[in-house]
Amino acid sequence: MHVDKKTQKYDRQLRLWHASGQTALETAKVCLINGTATGCEILKDLVLPGIGSFTVVDDKIVDGSDVGNTFFLVPDSIGKSRAQAVTEFLQELNEDVKGFHFSENPIALIENQPEYFLQFSIVITTNIPEKPLLKLADTLWNAKIPLVVLRTVGFIGYFRIALPEHTNVPFLSLEQYVKTFNFDTLDSMDHGHIPYVVILLKYLEQWKQDHDGKLPSTSAERNEFKQLIQSGKRNADEENFDEALSSAWRACTVTKVPRQVEEIFKDSSCENITSESSNFWIIVRAIREFVANEGQGLLPLAGSVPDMKAYTSGYVAMQNIYRQKAKEDISIVRAHVHDILTSIGRSVDSISDNEIDSRWLRDSQENIVNYVLIRAMDRFYESHNRYPDAATFFLEDDAEEASEEARSEFSTLKTYVNLLLGEWDITNYPEHLDNHIHEICRAGGSELANIASLLGGMVSQEIIKLITRQYIPINNSIVFDGIRSMSSSYIL
Amino acid sequence: MSETQMQTDLQGGLETAASKDWPGRWSHLYKILDRRGPFADPSFTPDHGDEILLNTCRVLVIGAGGLGCEILKNLALSGFKNIEVIDMDTIDVSNLNRQFLFRPSDVGKPKAKVASEFIMKRVPGVKVTYYHGKIQDKDDDYYLGFQLIICGLDSVEARRWINATLVNLVDGEPERIRVLVDGGTEGFKGQARVIIPTITSCYECSLDMLGKQRTFPICTIANTPRLPEHCIEWASAIHWPKERPDIKMDTDDPIHIQWLYETALKRAKEFNITGVTYSLTQGVVKNIIPAIASTNAIIAASCCNEAFKLITTSQPYLNNYMMYTGNEGLYTYTFDHQKKPDCPVCGNERVTMEISMEITVEDFIEYLKEKQDIQLKKPSLSHAVTNEKIYWQSPPIFEEKTRPNLERKLLEMVKQGDEITVTDTTLPISLQIVVSYI
Repeated sequence: MHVDKKTQKYDRQLRLWHASGQTALETAKVCLINGTATGCEILKDLVLPGIGSFTVVDDKIVDGSDVGNTFFLVPDSIGKSRAQAVTEFLQELNEDVKGFHFSENPIALIENQPEYFLQFSIVITTNIPEKPLLKLADTLWNAKIPLVVLRTVGFIGYFRIALPEHTNVPFLSLEQYVKTFNFDTLDSMDHGHIPYVVILLKYLEQWKQDHDGKLPSTSAERNEFKQLIQSGKRNADEENFDEALSSAWRACTVTKVPRQVEEIFKDSSCENITSESSNFWIIVRAIREFVANEGQGLLPLAGSVPDMKAYTSGYVAMQNIYRQKAKEDISIVRAHVHDILTSIGRSVDSISDNEIDSRWLRDSQENIVNYVLIRAMDRFYESHNRYPDAATFFLEDDAEEASEEARSEFSTLKTYVNLLLGEWDITNYPEHLDNHIHEICRAGGSELANIASLLGGMVSQEIIKLITRQYIPINNSIVFDGIRSMSSSYIL
Repeated sequence: MSETQMQTDLQGGLETAASKDWPGRWSHLYKILDRRGPFADPSFTPDHGDEILLNTCRVLVIGAGGLGCEILKNLALSGFKNIEVIDMDTIDVSNLNRQFLFRPSDVGKPKAKVASEFIMKRVPGVKVTYYHGKIQDKDDDYYLGFQLIICGLDSVEARRWINATLVNLVDGEPERIRVLVDGGTEGFKGQARVIIPTITSCYECSLDMLGKQRTFPICTIANTPRLPEHCIEWASAIHWPKERPDIKMDTDDPIHIQWLYETALKRAKEFNITGVTYSLTQGVVKNIIPAIASTNAIIAASCCNEAFKLITTSQPYLNNYMMYTGNEGLYTYTFDHQKKPDCPVCGNERVTMEISMEITVEDFIEYLKEKQDIQLKKPSLSHAVTNEKIYWQSPPIFEEKTRPNLERKLLEMVKQGDEITVTDTTLPISLQIVVSYI
């Protein structure tokens, strides 16, 4: 078989997103507002896998500090258009990709000609102040174009993705198949090849019969359940029983709709479907109908089965049961979608079948203080037209002291932090808040090459997930702290 | 942790480096380097940005592939001026989707050479020397010549080798500690870690964290295939030797892959299995790991961020492991991976193993190879006290002499509670095992 050059070049990524993902990538048009170090890193990671085209919108003239932290500039670029200079160097990375530049003030462009941005499949902004950003976000949201907002300062990075949602899920039911197995009459070969899922369900059924239909819930009960499975093992080599034992905890968990999903079901956009409703909410409503009716409280089945010790015939049979169930579930959901579409006067073809697939996300932890600080820093910028920038931190026993200016820098930033905390009704003060304020003053709006590259990589992964419609994108914000090497995700 | 403090070396090359600078070049870095920070290491001295940036601290980058290209770029932009890179590979077309220092016209050339030349051309004032060859070619003095070593490798073997070498290098003298920053990726996932040999957990301590090598039991392949991979393994491991015993399989030969693909496809049809493709066939027989630019960028940047913090002390460094997952949302898990007291490389406790009294030397060797936390390739065994050779893989003369022992019971040569010394020709490690028969 002849493998063409392009397939060879993209081999390592085609194994992740296949031809369909690659085609999606190759037809996508990405816009970057401001060719900063971080912006260029995102584009590098998209140009290499072969994005259709990219456009850099930036009216800045390259200065020495840009060349210092950006790989796609050289000393000769100083004094030239930054949009043009970085586009030329980024273009070199992949001859399949088209690069465009537009040396225009992005803020003025958003203000006067926001429709310019409607030609893109995704827009990324770095260092855009809040006000024009809100206008851009509005324009793009209405056109259902994803917007990525990104900011790095010192060792801290933050990005947020605004998009009209995107969707994936868990399952159950193969009792009939389980019933075809009579463990006691099987010979040792067959017994050693019973798929573990069947073993689990068989013993779970036995357990439930002995315990008024209840699942093992306490850890003592779970151990007892494990012993029950163990007792069925005929000899030490039965790997399928080991597989069952290691998954026993799963069988002890009540399968139900995750809390986050339930909350989405309760959303008013899901409740009130109108002809203006987005495809996402129509599908969510259809899934809610499924859960409430045919699903008997469960989400539609995903349909994939992990590998396990079994006969080919047994495994294939089970795979078919799963796939069949998944197919049935999805066709029921599809019927609900069609009913809803008809009831609001839209054509049943207006939502494609592959869109009927759902994905959502989990929650998060601390690290929020860095988000607060980045927002406070933005406020500082709006009123001073520069970032907080001063050495404000000194050790107690140090003879040196912060200058008057430095102190005022610190307290101004702190004022903005307090304002924000007040606006958001946050009363419990973040720990070591002052230290974080000192750190932002120290960073002075700097953009470090390592943090730029790290955040650039994260954002480009997300963009690839969105464009290829594969894997699960974030929802909806990430804060990375390069001091502690930790990230957190938030729904903001 | 003063014994692990990095030395900054201030000799030579100052003028040449300085003359390449232009106004504003380092202005982003100066903010951090010239100012004290609330989280910085107490030993951090502000206002020394120039000195730090102009130093000739030597850093070694192992690997000039997906991670290596990124690492070299990041180090050059972070003020490192004296870098060496080692890589034994040449450039392949399939590297071009992420190894951004290479162009189609570079295919076939040594990675280390092309990468170092590219960086020096793009970033003025940076010296990148290269070695196109194996890490095993270099001796202790070579590795002692660097302040820090960053690894961007795709091979477990090479990582184990450099890790063990750096741990053995210390030899009880803290000034011989060379910090290892290690990164690895697979698809949308990866990890970055800081290893301070003999102080923190080492690569070997975490061997059991590696997913089990994806191997399939032969009986599954032969009798009960369920996955497309089983059919491909059958084609390559069972059907090829049977059908084409005289031809050595070459996984780089498309005609061979085509044969395997067609054979696997036929078998899959028989068993009603879907999903055998040419690309999957190639992936399985060559053990190809998916790799993309963005994940490499994340992990390499994290490694370089740690290297920068370690060398400048401008912030605390990672203690000591960060896992990254990007396929379902975006998660990082940062934790202190604990040292294993009986680690064969950095531990000082002996390992006690419970084994059957019936076990033969050969079966015991197989057991050592398969054990998840040991994973030896070619173990050689000796009695720890008498030094009697139980089985040696090499040199040939000893292999031949000890070969008859393979069939003997271990018990005949090693009594209850005795200790065995296990070495491996592929790794600079030696493991002490106390035998407890059950």
